[in-house]
Amino acid sequence: MHARLDQLLSLRDGEPVDGRVAAHVAGCDDCAAALSGASRLRDRLRALPPAVADDGRGWVDVQARLAARKRGLRRRATVASLAAAASVATLALLAALRFQESPTAPAAPAAATATAAVAELRTRSQALEAMLAALPERPAVARAATAVPIDNLESQVQWLDHQLSTSPDAMPPTQAERLWRDRVEVMNSLVQLRYVEAQRPVL
Amino acid sequence: MSAFLDSDVPAEVLARARLGDTAAQAVIYQAFERPVRTLARRLVPGRAAAEDVAQDVFVEVLTRLDEYEGRGSFAGWVRSISVSKCLMHLRSPWRRGLSWVDALARQGPGEEPDDPASSCGADAVDLERALARLGETARAVVWLHDVEGYTHAEIGALLGGTASFSKSQLARAHERLRELLEPEGVVTPCMPVSTSC
Repeated sequence: MHARLDQLLSLRDGEPVDGRVAAHVAGCDDCAAALSGASRLRDRLRALPPAVADDGRGWVDVQARLAARKRGLRRRATVASLAAAASVATLALLAALRFQESPTAPAAPAAATATAAVAELRTRSQALEAMLAALPERPAVARAATAVPIDNLESQVQWLDHQLSTSPDAMPPTQAERLWRDRVEVMNSLVQLRYVEAQRPVL
Repeated sequence: MSAFLDSDVPAEVLARARLGDTAAQAVIYQAFERPVRTLARRLVPGRAAAEDVAQDVFVEVLTRLDEYEGRGSFAGWVRSISVSKCLMHLRSPWRRGLSWVDALARQGPGEEPDDPASSCGADAVDLERALARLGETARAVVWLHDVEGYTHAEIGALLGGTASFSKSQLARAHERLRELLEPEGVVTPCMPVSTSC
């Protein structure tokens, strides 16, 4: 029986092969020819010409992407600090409101339902995150019609994340449900817009 | 062999690029532009998509320079980012959703090489066309193994499979390339048959 192609490729690459196979190939003209053919094919692949050098636009585009990335990071940092400041104000307001509420106020009857809803909304949010992560990175130059709403939506997501990450254990379930519902809606819009943006690159 | 191995940049350029020196970053781009774009063109279907992935590679390389600790060659580090980006693109569910576009494109004559006049001639053109007609996984395996010099264990790990998976994909790719390049079956021995030589 002749050697299989995977065995011939192993022989070609100096990988361990059953001694009987090696002996067969050494004495078989057909197998030796096929082994030689596999080596030639590798040599031809290696000899294929490389991509032609770019005309300089490539480096310009890379620089634009780097600049866009830096701008995005700066904007996120600004939004985060604004969000932090706003959150402190919100917390102060909530604390003041709670102080005015009766300390013996009964738990909302919808609390259990809200907790279950939060779990489901979290799952949906994670699925949307995965979809967003699978989309290509944003173009360095984008259409204003999509870029501005996308930036707004990203800011809203960051704001909601900040809200959700601030004392999550102390947050009433109904409030958490409302925030997570908002997050899913915003993420949904974001995924759709990013998808549109990815399909219609700027020319 | 891998074009990455022929490219490198001095440590002093790397140090300046880390500090944000645009001229030093441009030197890195120029040193690796062709190997990165060549790899992307071989692995990623569609010229525009391949160029997009190649640019992503450079953004990643230039923003993560601090993570290169000098263990192993810088060229190897750039290559590992390039391979990872290309495979991530192929695995992207978003791109898979548009795979019918690629399939449609493959029904046509296929993309021509960048510059046929400067290539190795008709032989290279035929091979490039045959390579473009392979499945994505088979094409990635044959290129990473036969040209870039990755081992089957490395390719298996990159593709979330085993070394055996890589070996079988390589054999399948060779078989298909042979069919495409020698349609009349000039040399078709060495398949499992019951006769002896």
